[in-house]
Amino acid sequence: MRALSTAATGMEAQQLNVEVIAHNLANMNTTAFKRQRAEFQDLLYQNLGQVGAASSDAGTIVPTGLQIGLGVQAGSVYRITEQGSLSQTGNELDLAISGRGYFRIELPNGGEAYTRAGSFSRSPEGQLVTSDGYLVMPGIAVPAEARRVEVNQQGQVQVQLDGEAEAQILGQIEVITFANEAGLEAAGDNLYLETAASGAANVGVPGQPGFGIIRQGFVETSNVDAVTEITALIRAQRAYEMNARVISAADEMLAASANLR
Amino acid sequence: MDNMLMIGLSQQQVLRRAMDITANNIANVSTAGFKAEQLLVEAEPYTRARAEDGPARLNYVADWGMGRDFAQGSLEETSRPLDLAITGDGFFTLETPQGERFTRDGRFSMDAAGTLTAADGAPVLGEDGAPVTIDPDAGPVTILANGEITQNGMVAGRIAVTRFEDNGLLSKIGENRYIAPEDAERELAQEPLIRQGFIESSNVRPILEITSMMEVSRAYSSITRMLQQADELSRKAIERLGRPG
Repeated sequence: MRALSTAATGMEAQQLNVEVIAHNLANMNTTAFKRQRAEFQDLLYQNLGQVGAASSDAGTIVPTGLQIGLGVQAGSVYRITEQGSLSQTGNELDLAISGRGYFRIELPNGGEAYTRAGSFSRSPEGQLVTSDGYLVMPGIAVPAEARRVEVNQQGQVQVQLDGEAEAQILGQIEVITFANEAGLEAAGDNLYLETAASGAANVGVPGQPGFGIIRQGFVETSNVDAVTEITALIRAQRAYEMNARVISAADEMLAASANLR
Repeated sequence: MDNMLMIGLSQQQVLRRAMDITANNIANVSTAGFKAEQLLVEAEPYTRARAEDGPARLNYVADWGMGRDFAQGSLEETSRPLDLAITGDGFFTLETPQGERFTRDGRFSMDAAGTLTAADGAPVLGEDGAPVTIDPDAGPVTILANGEITQNGMVAGRIAVTRFEDNGLLSKIGENRYIAPEDAERELAQEPLIRQGFIESSNVRPILEITSMMEVSRAYSSITRMLQQADELSRKAIERLGRPG
């Protein structure tokens, strides 16, 4: 019976759905986390009666056909890159991007990754690094005697040195945009990697048209909405139960046939 | 014998198919743009289920077709700018290497070149028959109810919504897509209603499906019982009548 395997695909799909929801809920407090959504598609159809096939010599045709679907499959799990709200921390090296864009990070293996989690620190050499110690590009070194670091909305980094009246410009933080942000590959640790689907990295200055601005002293919170996730969880659970019911009903039908002598 | 076993068998086969269709509906309860289906059953008119034509004509059961419920699914808000839902009749038109495909599933994305695509990269066609393209760097995309795409106040194109004279001619091919026979009468909707930031959820009604599942499963067991009784009847007849002396 097809019903058994069809319902099994349904259960599998809902299991994936619950896994995605669990991942979202687990990352409710992850800086700049973007929630994900599982997307489903119907599976193949078996044509038992072709639409438009002749049903008699008199030229009548089958008006609707008979197609039996074989269940459901996961289409993709994609990220919803909506802006998360900004939460004030007061920490001078906490930077949030308001609008489009990513910070560029140099990985220890020399590759590049992108992130929106801007809770940065200083390395022993005074360079701006992520919480894992990866360098924020382009490298900006803050002198040890700096009293305070100022980052304005356009990403200019300035320091006030002891005994100097004028602020000194240290460098410029850049933001990167992609034509298709949803095509970035999540690499864990809040990092994303460029792929063929995302398009090439597009380097810009914060505040330019199409690029977000930098807010110092803020971090971007996760864009997971607990209420939405919980309602989705309830729906997924009920759908899972219904598919399980189908399996037991189909099983009963098979058992009835098996008991025929 | 009035061919009870054979009639019962034809009914069992139909019920199994009905179960398969219900299972498929339930499996797709969270598939965007999915349309529920049901089996249409009738007495098979061409084959007599009895050798001689008696006063009571007996027929087999046959499933002659399938009804697809094209009713609107409810709209679910996602606030993703490239999630689109059609309210009312009509389908988005996709270009695939195998030809045009139609879908109600409007979860689109933009590829690196700015083409509006479905999940597997098939371009979404505009009113002019060419794929819809958006400038990836020109700021937020607004899609009006009539399908016009605007960016920075400039119209970038218009999404095509195809309507068919008879939706019954469409067949499903999986991946939420339909295929239409070439001679199916169609037109581009002049005033479609597209909602941006929404997706159309599946129109499967779970309660209906569960009750129809129960109905099918009970009908199946009563047919099975009937078959058992028919079997019992012939066994007894053989025993009684076959006894010598």
